[in-house]
Amino acid sequence: MNRVLEIRPLTRVEGHGRIEVRFAGTKAEMVSLSFFEAPRFFEALLKGKSYEEVPEIICRICSLCSTVHRICSLFAIEKALDIRVSEQVGLYRELILHGGHIQSHALHLFCLVLPDCFAVDGISGLADKAPQELKRGLHIKAAGNLIQEIVGGRTIHPVTLVPGGMGKPVSREGLLKLKETLQGVLPETRRAFELFRSFLPNGEKLDTPRYLSVHPEGASPFFGDSLTMGNAETIPVELYTNLLREKMPETGNAKAVLVNEEPATVGALARLNLGMNLTPMAAAAFEECRMLVTDADIRANNLAQAVELILAVERSLEIVDILIEADFSREETTGIVPKKGQGIAAVEAPRGVLIHNYSFDDRGICRGADIVTPTVINQAAMERDLIALATHMEGADDEELTGAFERLVRAYDPCISCAVHLLRI
Amino acid sequence: MKKPAIAIAGLTACSGCQLTLLNCEEELPEIAQRFIIDYFPLGLTERAITGPIDVAFVEGAVSTPSDLEILMKLRNCSRSLVALGTCALWGGIAAMKNQESRKDLAKTVYGFAADDLKSFNPQPLHRFVKVDFAITGCPPEKGELLTTLAALLRGTFPVFPRYPVCSECRSRENLCLLIERDKMCLGPLVQAGCNARCPAVGIGCEGCRGPVTEANVAAEMELLLKKGFSRDEIVSRMQRFYPEWDYEQSS
Ligand code: SF4
Ligand code: SF4
Repeated sequence: MNRVLEIRPLTRVEGHGRIEVRFAGTKAEMVSLSFFEAPRFFEALLKGKSYEEVPEIICRICSLCSTVHRICSLFAIEKALDIRVSEQVGLYRELILHGGHIQSHALHLFCLVLPDCFAVDGISGLADKAPQELKRGLHIKAAGNLIQEIVGGRTIHPVTLVPGGMGKPVSREGLLKLKETLQGVLPETRRAFELFRSFLPNGEKLDTPRYLSVHPEGASPFFGDSLTMGNAETIPVELYTNLLREKMPETGNAKAVLVNEEPATVGALARLNLGMNLTPMAAAAFEECRMLVTDADIRANNLAQAVELILAVERSLEIVDILIEADFSREETTGIVPKKGQGIAAVEAPRGVLIHNYSFDDRGICRGADIVTPTVINQAAMERDLIALATHMEGADDEELTGAFERLVRAYDPCISCAVHLLRI
Repeated sequence: MKKPAIAIAGLTACSGCQLTLLNCEEELPEIAQRFIIDYFPLGLTERAITGPIDVAFVEGAVSTPSDLEILMKLRNCSRSLVALGTCALWGGIAAMKNQESRKDLAKTVYGFAADDLKSFNPQPLHRFVKVDFAITGCPPEKGELLTTLAALLRGTFPVFPRYPVCSECRSRENLCLLIERDKMCLGPLVQAGCNARCPAVGIGCEGCRGPVTEANVAAEMELLLKKGFSRDEIVSRMQRFYPEWDYEQSS
C-alpha cells in the first residue's frame, strides 16, 4: 500500500513550505521538502540599479533578516567600489547586527518554538499556559527591536545604513536608553538559556552535521572574510563558489546547495561548534551546556541560539559603552566615485552564513548579483534529517509524524522568503 | 461583545507586515486575548482556512495561483478584508519591474528551470477582490496597525491622514533634504503617517508608503531633473514601491 503524507503549509516558520512523505507500506521511501514561496526574482530586480539603491531594495528580501542583508550588501558594495568606512560606522553596523540577532532568535525561540515545549498551538496558547515565559521572550525581543529602531531609524528594513557611511548617529540619550534596556534584559537572557536547556531533545540522535560558518576574526563574532568547516579547512569568501555547489530545484522555487558534495549545516549550532568568540556570560553558559551542543545534531540548535542571545546582548552592551565613551560627532559621507568592480562579502545572519556578490559597471550600476542564504545552504541537511527521522519513527501515525517533522524543520529556523531568491545573473 | 475573529496571511512578500504585528511586544498578549486568531500560519499551527472570519489581514502582492487561492478563500469567508502593507496595497517591491517581461526576469535567476515556475506579475489585492481597508507602509507603522485593531474592537476602521510626508517632515523642523541638500527625496509625493522617519535621520524618503492622493508628480520630476538627476534614475527610484506613476500628469 503506497500513500503520501503532505504537510502544507508548514506552520510557525517564516515563509511558505511543504513536506511530502511517500510511504511504501509503513516505510517512508522518500521525503521532500519544498519551498513554494512566490519567487520575487531579486537578483533580476537589482540588475540595472545603482549601487546606492541596492541595499534599500535587497533588504526587502526578508523582514526577519533585513538588517543583516542590508549590512552584507554594504560590505560587498564597499569592497567592489574600494570604500572604507570609519570606526564609528563599523561599530554602529555591528551593534545593529546584534540587534537583528536578538530580535530574530527571540522571535524564533519564544514565538515559534516555545509553543511546542508547552504543547500549545501558538501565542494565544502561550499567553494562557506560560505567560511569564512569553513575556520574558517578548521583553528580550523588544530590546533587539529597540537597537534596530534607534540605530537604524526603523525596526524592519532599517534606513540609516548606506554605502560609505550612515545617516545621523545616535544621540547620547539614545545610547543611554539602549544601555539601560540592555542591562535590564541581560539577566533575562540567562533565564531564557536555562529555560531552553531544560527542554532536552528526545528520540534517537540524528547525523552529526558538517558545520560551516564564517571564520570569526577580531572582536565581532559575526563578521569575517573567510569560511570555515573546522579541521583547518578555511577559504577566503571570494572563493565560495569552489566550496558551494548549487542544485536547481526539482520542486519548489529555491535552489539547494551542497558543500563539497555533502549537506552542510549553518547557524548558531555551527558557530558554537566552530569556536566563535564569546563574551564572558555567554562563555560561561556555553561551558555549562558544552556536552549538549558539541557535535550535536540540529535539535540542539535552539539551545545554541539561547547561548547566542546572551552573547548578542553582552556584546551590544560593550559596543554601546564604547560609543558613549567615544562621543562621536556626525560625519558626512564623502563623495563616492563609482567604478567598475566586483565585491563578495559574507556575514553570519541569525540563521547562518549569508553571502552577497555584486558586480558593477563603471557608472556603479549593478550588472550581476548572487545571493546565497543560510536556509538554502541548510536545505540539503534538512532533507537528510527528515528522512532519518521518518525511518526512526516507522509506524507512527500521521499526527505524530507531522508534529515531529515540523519540529525538526523549526529547529533549523528556516527563512523561506530568503531561500527562494537566490541566484546568479 | 463577542471577540472578533481575525486571520493574518502572507502572499508574495517578505513577512515584514506580519512581523510588525509580532513586534508589538507589549500589546501582543492582550491582542491574543481580545481577538480570536483564527488563521495565522506564521504564528499558529492551524493549517486550514475555515472561517467565518471578521477581519482578514493580507500581506503581500498576488503573483501565483496559490496566492490567488488563499486570497479568494479568505475573501469568501471574511466580513472585511484589509490590505496590510505596501505590497498588498500597491504591488510593492516585487512589482517594480512589472513593465518588463516576467519570463526574462525568471530566466535571469533560474535559467531553464524558469519555464516551470508558475507565477505572474505581482499585483495588488484590489485587482482581484474587494478590499475594505488598507494600512500602507513597507513595513507598516506599528501605531497604525494597533489603531486599526483598537478600532475593530469598536466595530469600525480608523481614518488615517491624507497628506504628504513633507508635511510631517516640516513639522519636525528637519532640514529639507530635497531643497537644501539636493538629495532625491520623494517626500512631496508620498503618503504620510510615518512621521517622516527617513528624513528625520538624514536619509531621503524612498517612497515606501506609496502615492499620496493628489501627488504632484510632474512638479517633483521637474525639480529633480533641474537638480541634475537623470530621468532614468528618477523613474527607477520612483518605481521601487509603485510601478504606475503618471509622470506627465499635471495637477
Ligand atoms: S510591504 Fe514591505 S514589509 Fe510588507 S511584505 Fe511587502 S516588502 Fe515586506
Ligand atoms: S520617510 Fe518615506 S521611505 Fe521613510 S518611512 Fe516614511 S514614507 Fe517610507
